Amino acid sequence: MSETLDIDSIRTNFLNQDYDERHFELTPQQIVDYAEACGETAPRYTDPGHPDFQAPPTFASSFQPGKRLPDGFPKLPGLGMDAGKAVSPKAPMRPGVPLVGRTHLHDVYAKTGRSGRMTFMVTRMEVYDPDQLLLATADTRIVIRERPAKDAS
Amino acid sequence: MTINSISEVEFGAELPVFEPDTGLANVKRFVVAAGWNGPRFTDHEAARKEGLPGALVPGILSQGYLAAMIHRWAPEALIQNVDTVFRAPLIVDEPCSISGVVTDIDEEAGRVEIDLTITNAKGETRVFGTAEVKLPA
Amino acid sequence: MILDLHTHSIKSDDGRAKVQNYCQWIKTREIPIDGFVLTEHRQFDNESDYRELAREFGITILKGSEVETEYGHVLVFGVTEALQRAFDFSDIHLPLAKVVEACEKHGAVPAPCHPGRPRVGMHAHLETFGVPDGVRIVEVYNGGSRDSEDEIAQAMAEELGYLGIGGSDAHIVSHVGRCATRFPMDIHSESELVEALRAGDFEAITNRQ
Repeated sequence: MSETLDIDSIRTNFLNQDYDERHFELTPQQIVDYAEACGETAPRYTDPGHPDFQAPPTFASSFQPGKRLPDGFPKLPGLGMDAGKAVSPKAPMRPGVPLVGRTHLHDVYAKTGRSGRMTFMVTRMEVYDPDQLLLATADTRIVIRERPAKDAS
Repeated sequence: MTINSISEVEFGAELPVFEPDTGLANVKRFVVAAGWNGPRFTDHEAARKEGLPGALVPGILSQGYLAAMIHRWAPEALIQNVDTVFRAPLIVDEPCSISGVVTDIDEEAGRVEIDLTITNAKGETRVFGTAEVKLPA
Repeated sequence: MILDLHTHSIKSDDGRAKVQNYCQWIKTREIPIDGFVLTEHRQFDNESDYRELAREFGITILKGSEVETEYGHVLVFGVTEALQRAFDFSDIHLPLAKVVEACEKHGAVPAPCHPGRPRVGMHAHLETFGVPDGVRIVEVYNGGSRDSEDEIAQAMAEELGYLGIGGSDAHIVSHVGRCATRFPMDIHSESELVEALRAGDFEAITNRQ
């Protein structure tokens, strides 16, 4: 029998509680490489000499928390894959500015898809500058595909 | 054709199709910059050993492609939100095509909504999503 | 009358379309449909009232559901409060037989959707579970399916004698109306839709290029 996550228990015990805080700082070259690889051509993303030089608006999606899931979270019953991302930039992210990202579990639910039963978890990171100005929120939807009994190891 | 103000945008307007660089070297450059360097994204053989069809274009890169496409169409656009659903993986070194279409305009708020779709060479949708964008008056 | 029988709004977890924007899109782009049915995942949206919007745009907007069974996903038309008490719409392991029985008892119509898709389509489960009782209608054109998946759906419908409907399975605004269903009569309510489906006089159509 495959393992499944107890969705109700997870919602009760883990939802909306910050479980991770991580610090980031971007370099100009990092921003340029990121921007050009995405296909950005606007100089505010590709030219460190531009007066409004900043990270492309989706950069916050790349920040990963130190802990993927909260302490005490049940073991995942299968491979976790990225099912979608939403990013809302609120203010420019500049190189050399210390940033802090705080993460919480925002939602969890189950559904069936092409590859079987899946559990979806949405984690949200809020990114702040040293003045606690919210620069962006970035949601990650992780899908855990349940392993069928014959594949369970 | 690029857009410089919201008054130039028509409901239903299609953004110029964008065919991003999904080549291995470009993906490698991206994952190093993003701090996501790992064989799943940079090594076809290693990815297949994980049960994947090949090295994957990371979801955050496909999201970055969408933002770049919007900026290519409207260089002064301020992206307020990009929300993407990953239906199936994009594979490194396999071409894909991104289309976008304007589905709502609020000229008073200076805000436009765009539907975005990434399809592979077979025309299958791999990623879809929406973006909210502010444009100058 | 042409209705897109399978759409999702932001009420569905993976839906990104606002209903008003569907209406604007249909009118401005002259999408060849007269209305659509919102078939939200694993729920019936009791709270939204689209009658004013429907009047404003001159579009029929109806509500249904998409539920999950051992045979894959199933559209349900004619959802009532009584039907919602008969089974848990959020359950992803519903027995199809229970859904069919409840629909028959409470005047609703079930229609397995995208039956040609792996796992979430009915055809993939026929060998394991057999041909289910009580299914009369399946979705043979789905705007989100691959052509090969629709072909499987059509072949299955022909072999098993099912009637076919069409729907876009739109999750974003610009996908509405890709596939739809043509009826010979006007339909402006869920009960009229149920009556039309039960009458069996309709045709699935595709507007995909």
